[in-house]
Amino acid sequence: MSTHEITTAVNGRSRSAQVQARTSLADLLRAEFGLTGTHVSCEQGHCGACTVLLDGLPVRSCLVLAVQVDGAEVETVENLPDGGLQAAMREEHGLQCGFCTPGLLMSLAHAEREQLPADEVLTEVLPAHLCRCTGYGGIRAAVERHWNGREQR
Amino acid sequence: MTGLIGSRVPRPQDHRLLRGRGRYVADVPAPGALHAAVVRSPVPHGRITGFDAADSGACALGPQEIAEHTRPLPTAWRLPGQQPDQVPLTAGTVRYTGQPIGLVVAAGRAEAEDAAEQVRLRIDRLPAVFDADAALAPGAPLLHPDNGTNRAGEAHFGDPRAEVEAAIADAAHVVERQLAVQRICPSPLETRGLLAEWDPAVERLTAHISTQSPHVVRQELAAALRLRIDQIRVVAPDVGGSFGSKVGLQAEEVLVCLAAVLLGRPVRWIEDRAEQLLAGYHGRGQRARARLALDADGRFRALHADIRSDLGAFAAQAGSGPAQVSGLTLEGPYRFERAGAVVTGVHTNTAPTAAYRGYGMQESSWIRERLIDEAARELGADPLQLRLRNLVDGPRHRTRTSLVLDGADHAGALRRAAELAGAHRAADEPGVRRGVGVTAASEVTAFAPSALLESFGIDWSGWEGATLRINPDGTVTAHSGVTSVGQGVETGLAQLVAEHLGVPMPWVSVQLGDTATTPHSDLTSQASRSLALAGTALARAADRMRERMRRLAARHLEAAPDAVVLDAEAGSYRAGTGEISWVEVARRGWKGWRRDSAEHVRLEEHVDFDPPAPTFACSAHAAAVAVDLATGQVRVEGYWAVHDSGRLVNPMLAEGQVVGGVAQGLGIALLEEVAYDPDSGRPRAATSPADYQLPTARDVPPVVVEHRCTPSEVIPGGYRGVGEGGILPPPATVAAAVAAAVPEIAAELTATPLTPMRIWAAWDAAQRR
Amino acid sequence: MKPVAFAHAAPREVPAALQLLSEVDAVALAGGQSLVPQLNLRKVRPRAVVDLNRLTELDHLDIGESAVRIGAMTRMRALERDPGLRRALPVLPQAIGRIADRVVRTRGTIGGSLCHADPAGELPVLAVALGARLHLRSVRGSRVEPAATFFYSAHVTSRARDELLTEVEFPLRQGFRWRFAERSRRAHSGPPLVSACLGVATDGAAITGARLAGGGIRERPMRLPRAEERLRGTRLGTAAADVLDAAERDAEPPAECAYRRALLRALLAEVLSEPFERWA
Repeated sequence: MSTHEITTAVNGRSRSAQVQARTSLADLLRAEFGLTGTHVSCEQGHCGACTVLLDGLPVRSCLVLAVQVDGAEVETVENLPDGGLQAAMREEHGLQCGFCTPGLLMSLAHAEREQLPADEVLTEVLPAHLCRCTGYGGIRAAVERHWNGREQR
Repeated sequence: MTGLIGSRVPRPQDHRLLRGRGRYVADVPAPGALHAAVVRSPVPHGRITGFDAADSGACALGPQEIAEHTRPLPTAWRLPGQQPDQVPLTAGTVRYTGQPIGLVVAAGRAEAEDAAEQVRLRIDRLPAVFDADAALAPGAPLLHPDNGTNRAGEAHFGDPRAEVEAAIADAAHVVERQLAVQRICPSPLETRGLLAEWDPAVERLTAHISTQSPHVVRQELAAALRLRIDQIRVVAPDVGGSFGSKVGLQAEEVLVCLAAVLLGRPVRWIEDRAEQLLAGYHGRGQRARARLALDADGRFRALHADIRSDLGAFAAQAGSGPAQVSGLTLEGPYRFERAGAVVTGVHTNTAPTAAYRGYGMQESSWIRERLIDEAARELGADPLQLRLRNLVDGPRHRTRTSLVLDGADHAGALRRAAELAGAHRAADEPGVRRGVGVTAASEVTAFAPSALLESFGIDWSGWEGATLRINPDGTVTAHSGVTSVGQGVETGLAQLVAEHLGVPMPWVSVQLGDTATTPHSDLTSQASRSLALAGTALARAADRMRERMRRLAARHLEAAPDAVVLDAEAGSYRAGTGEISWVEVARRGWKGWRRDSAEHVRLEEHVDFDPPAPTFACSAHAAAVAVDLATGQVRVEGYWAVHDSGRLVNPMLAEGQVVGGVAQGLGIALLEEVAYDPDSGRPRAATSPADYQLPTARDVPPVVVEHRCTPSEVIPGGYRGVGEGGILPPPATVAAAVAAAVPEIAAELTATPLTPMRIWAAWDAAQRR
Repeated sequence: MKPVAFAHAAPREVPAALQLLSEVDAVALAGGQSLVPQLNLRKVRPRAVVDLNRLTELDHLDIGESAVRIGAMTRMRALERDPGLRRALPVLPQAIGRIADRVVRTRGTIGGSLCHADPAGELPVLAVALGARLHLRSVRGSRVEPAATFFYSAHVTSRARDELLTEVEFPLRQGFRWRFAERSRRAHSGPPLVSACLGVATDGAAITGARLAGGGIRERPMRLPRAEERLRGTRLGTAAADVLDAAERDAEPPAECAYRRALLRALLAEVLSEPFERWA
C-alpha cells in the first residue's frame, strides 16, 4: 500500500495533500479539500454526478485516482461564475433535488467554452448525465434558453 | 403579497444548489467521525452459526450485540393476520442476500470495507425461493417456518367475491389476463446515508439522515434503541431524491446509531450504489390474475383481480401497503357495477419491497388499462370511446371500495390527451410500425384523514401541523412536518404563506426536516399530500397571524383595525397619518406590549389540519411509439400528459413533478428491472450496477404537459396533489401504443419492462403462428 | 465501494513499466474507465497498479501509406477528432464516437478498450474486421499478434499478465470501404449487445471482396466467412436475404446444442455418483 504527496491546482489555487493510492479524485476534492459540491453517486462512471474538469476536459472524478492529478489542474462547480447558465437552470426548473446538478453544470460549462451548438449539447452532452428527478424537461429548456440567449447577444 | 399563488416562482434554494452549496448528509461536517461498512449475508437463506470479527482490526457489531441492545422495528401497515409483524434488526437466520448481519467501523470507508471482508461468517445454507408463485407452490422452502406457509396474509377489497363472480359470469364478454409489474430499484441519485452522534454527557442522539420522514425515524430509533423519544433529534439535510425509498429505517441506519451510542464517537454511513441495488428496499414486484367483464355494447359490468405481492424476505414497515392500495384503487376513474380484489402478500428470499412513487396506483392502472385495451381490441371497439362511455362523471362518485372521487375532470383530460396525440404526424418507414395509445388514471391524494387511517389499521397520523412565527426582527419562519426531497415543497409553501400573510416572499423562510422545530408528521411528503395538507395548515396560520399583526399595529397607531393597511413594499403599517414598521410591531409584540390575550402572546401560530377526506387528482396520457420489428426496439416519439390537480400553487413545480414522474414511468415501461438470478441468489444488477438501466435523456422525449384545474371541494384552497400522478399511466400508455402499432403481439403485452428482446420474441412467435 | 489498498507507480519509460508489470499481482491502468469501476467493486484486487498515463511515447498517431499505427495510450477523444484519421480510415473515428459517452472518451484509450475485450465492443470488432495487428512487449521480448487470434473470450485476450500493449496497427486496404453498426439492449444507449463491421471492395457495381466481423454473438468478435462468401458478386446497395441467412448460419451456436447439454448432464451425473474413495 502506498501513500503519495500530491500537489494540484484546484480552482486556480495550488493545493497539496497526502493520499492513499486508492483514493479517488472525487474523494480527494470532497474530504481533503472540503469541496463538497462534487457528488459521488455510482462510482462506476455512468451517472455523471461526479464530473469535474481535469486540465480543461470533463472527466468522471470517481474514475480518476487522486495520485493521477499531481501537477494537473482541476476545476469544480464551486469555480463556475454565477452566470446565464445557472440563471436559466433556475428559471426553467432544471433542478429538483440538485444532486446531479454540479456534474451536469461542469459538462455544460465545458460545452459552452467549446462553443458546441445547442442541439449537439442536447444530443451528445446531456445523455451522459443521469437525472432521476426532472425527466430532463427543465434541463432541456434551460439549455435552449441559455444557448439561444447567447446567440442573440 | 398577491399573485404568488398560481405563479411560476423560481425556487430560492436553487442559488445555493447551483453553486455546489448543497448540504447532503455526506457533506455535513463531523471532524473525527468514523465510517461504517455493513457486513451482509452472502447467501439468500441460511442460519448464522458464527460471526467472528477478531481479525478485522476494527470495532464490530455482530448479531449478539445487536440482539442485546436493540428491539425490532414496529410495523405500521400490515395485512390481516400478518406474521411476522415486526421488522427484525438482528439475524439468526438470514433470508436475503445482502441482509445486514453486522457493522464494522473504521477511520475511513475504504478501511471499513477492508475490515468487513475480514469478518469470518459461518452460515448453514438453506434452500431458497426467489419467485412469489414458486414460494406459494407445495414444497417450497419456508422463510418463516412457524407460519407454515410463505403466504404473509391476505386482504379483500370491494364487493364480496361471490357477487363479483356472479356479475362476471353473467356478462356478455370477459377479458382475462395474467399481468405483472416488475421489481424496481427506486434509485435516487443520492443513496441512503446518515451521520449519527451520541453525546454521552447529556445522553442525546442526533442523527442527520437522508430521509423523507424525520419524525418516523425518531420514533423508530427510540423503539429500536430503547431510548426516550425526547433523547433523539433527527435532521433531514438536503435530500437528493427519495421517491419513497427513504420513508423509514432499515436495519443499517439503526446499527449505525447503535455504534455511535456504544462508541461515543460520531459514525457516518453512506450507502453505495451496489448496496442500494442489492439490499435497499425495492419497489413494485406484483402479479395479478385479472378480469374485466363487459356488456355486448361495451358497458363495464365487473372488474376483479387476484393480486400476489412479492413482499420479499419479510414485510417492511409498510411493505404490504402498495399492494393494498392496488386493491383499493383498481377501478380507477371508471364505473363498475361490481368490483373487487384479493391481495396476497408472499415471502421470498429477496430484499423486502416497500414504497415507490405511485404506491400501488401504477400497478392498478397497469392491470385495468391493459384489460380495457384488450377488451376494445377483442370487441372491435375504439379504445378511446370505450373509455369515455365508462368514465366517471359528476362531482362525486363512490367506488366499490368506498373511495369518493370528487369531481376531477376525467372526460376533459381524456379527450384533450387524445386530441393532442391526434395532431402528431409521423413518417412511414419500412420495418417500423407506429401507434398511439391513450389511457386514464385516478390518483388518491392528500392522503388521508386520521380516522380513515385508523379504520384501515395503519399506524400513521394523517393530519398535518404548521407553525408560523414572526420573529422579533420581523422575519417570518414557517415550519411544517412535510419534507423536501427535491420536489420544491418549501417554495410552494413559501408562496402560500407570503400571499396569505400579505408580505413579500423573501421575508419568508420555510424550514423543514428537523424534529426539534417541526410539527409531528408520519406521512410527511409521501402520498401527494404536502401542499394540500401542510399548505392548508400554514395558510390558516398565516391568515390568523395577519389579523393579529394588524390588530397589534392598530393598537400602537391608536386606530381602528379596519383603518390599518400594510404597505409591504415599504415594510410598514399606515393609518391616516400614523405609521409603524412591520419590524417594530414584531419587536414590541414579543414584549407583550398591547397584546390581545394574556394566554396567547407570542407571535406564533400553531395550526393542525386533519382533512375530511382524501381528494382525487386525475390524468390522461398519450404516447406515440415507433416499434422496429427487426430489433424489437421501442422509441417513444411523442408523449402528452393532461392532468387535473386542482388549483396549482406553482405550475412550474407541478410540471416538474409530472415530467419527472413520466420519466420514471418510462423507465418502468421499457428499461428497469431488478431480476434475481436463482444461481447467485442476488439481483444481476447488484454485481454490475451499470446494468440497471435508468432513463437517460435519450429515453425521455419532450413531454407536453397540460393542466385542467378543477378545484377540490375537500381541501380549502382547492388543491389536489400532483407528486405521483406522472408515474401512474406511462407503462400502460406505452403498452397501448405498442399494441396499436403491432396488434399481432397485443395479447402478450402483459408484463413490463417491454424490452427489445421481449418485443422481438413476441413478434417472432407471432410470425411463426 | 472503495478499492482494496494497492501500491501505485507511474513510470515515464516503457522498460520501467514492463519491469513493474512483471511483478506479482500488478495490473496496468490506462484510461481507467473499465478498470477503476472493477477496482471500486473489488472485482479486481491488485497488489500494485502500474499507471500508464505518463508513458507519453505510447500516445501517438502515425498515418502511413499502407497502415495507421496508433499508440495504445492514445485517447479516444483525440482519435475521434483527428482530421487525418477521418480521411485515412473514417470508420475508426466513427465507431469510436459510439463508445460510451464523451466524458468516458476523454480518458479512455484505444489500448485500454482493446485489452478490456468486451465481446461486442466497438474496437475489438473493428480490429478483427480490419485485420489489425497488436504490438505487445514484456521483459521477455516483443511480439505482434493478429486481432483474429488476440481475443480469446469475454474480457480475456492473449496478452499475458506481464505484457503491455504498446501499439495497434490498422492496415489500409486499397479499395475497401467500411461501415460499422451496433445495437444495445435498450433502444438508444448503453453498451452494445451486438455489433458488426463490414468492409467491401468493389468494381463499381458489385462486391469483389468482403471482410465481416460480428461482436456479441460469441464471447469474442468473430469473422463471418459464409456471409463474406455470399457477399462476393452481390450488387452494391442491396441487403440480399441469402447474405443475411448466411450470416445467421455463421452465428449459430455449435451443432447439436441440446444433445451436447444432455450429454453434459449425463457426464456430471456419472462423475458425481462415483464413490469418493475411487476419486484420484
